[in-house]
Amino acid sequence: MAEPDFEAQLTRMFAEAPSFPDASLFNAEVAAKLDRGWTMRRMFIGLAGTAAGLIAAFQILSSRFSSEVTQLSRNTGHNLQTELDAGYSKFNALFASPGSSEAVWLAACLAVVALAFAVTRMVEDF
Amino acid sequence: MGMDRPPTGHDVELAASAAAGDRRAYGELVRRHGSAVRGLLRRLGADSATADDLAQDAFMAGFEQVAEFRGEGTFGAWIKKIAARLYLKKVKREARLIFSDTVEPVEDAMARDASGDAASRIDLDEALKTLSRGERLCVSLCYGADWSHGEAAEALNIPIGTVKSHVKRGLDKLRARLARPEEGARREAHG
Repeated sequence: MAEPDFEAQLTRMFAEAPSFPDASLFNAEVAAKLDRGWTMRRMFIGLAGTAAGLIAAFQILSSRFSSEVTQLSRNTGHNLQTELDAGYSKFNALFASPGSSEAVWLAACLAVVALAFAVTRMVEDF
Repeated sequence: MGMDRPPTGHDVELAASAAAGDRRAYGELVRRHGSAVRGLLRRLGADSATADDLAQDAFMAGFEQVAEFRGEGTFGAWIKKIAARLYLKKVKREARLIFSDTVEPVEDAMARDASGDAASRIDLDEALKTLSRGERLCVSLCYGADWSHGEAAEALNIPIGTVKSHVKRGLDKLRARLARPEEGARREAHG
């Protein structure tokens, strides 16, 4: 038998999938593992998102960010440009202070996690 | 969405659905290719339990990576590559990957597990047992998992020439055995 013929025959023989009597059991086990993994992932993301939201809310409230915004809104009668400049410098100050900047970045990260959770839920529901 | 109707369509479409999180679509791919992956792992030399565990791991890994499957090749070839890599990783970890010329006895897993009377399949599985571990691995990777010699050499961390010589010797043995199965069996019986 010529080499290419034999190689083609061998490829065909390898391509023939054997039939296993427990094939449906195997499929069910894989499906169960997939379901388990998906549930664990959703639980983890949900817990992370909840914790993130709580920490973020606490940090934002304690970082005086809200009072700065309130102050800005009170002074709306003043020169807009001056207020924008002042707001911009206050916003920068938020990042300049080590504690506050950490809070903002933490909140941003946690918001991303929460968003990921929401997207996962949407995909699952879809 | 019809929850009771099994997903249909081409593998590429099912893979796209699976990439979007549809586990039922992926379940259909498992149903279509599960036996082929389990069979390949046995032909590579894994025992039944290990082969089934690795096949499950391969499908789990496949689900995580299914977005990377673009349909350039077949889904079957793609998932077989993942399974073969997992098997090689396992044997390397256990330091059992020895390329010798001696023929090591391999558990007759396929004959015990597989049903059906496809003579060619049984012949192939019997014939593969006459190969050394290295020959069996290289032949099964190149003809069963559709790896190139280069891919096999890289994965096995051996020169490509070694892969080629293992494949050539393996093919010679398989050709002889598959051409005259009765004679091969008689020769083995007489030692």
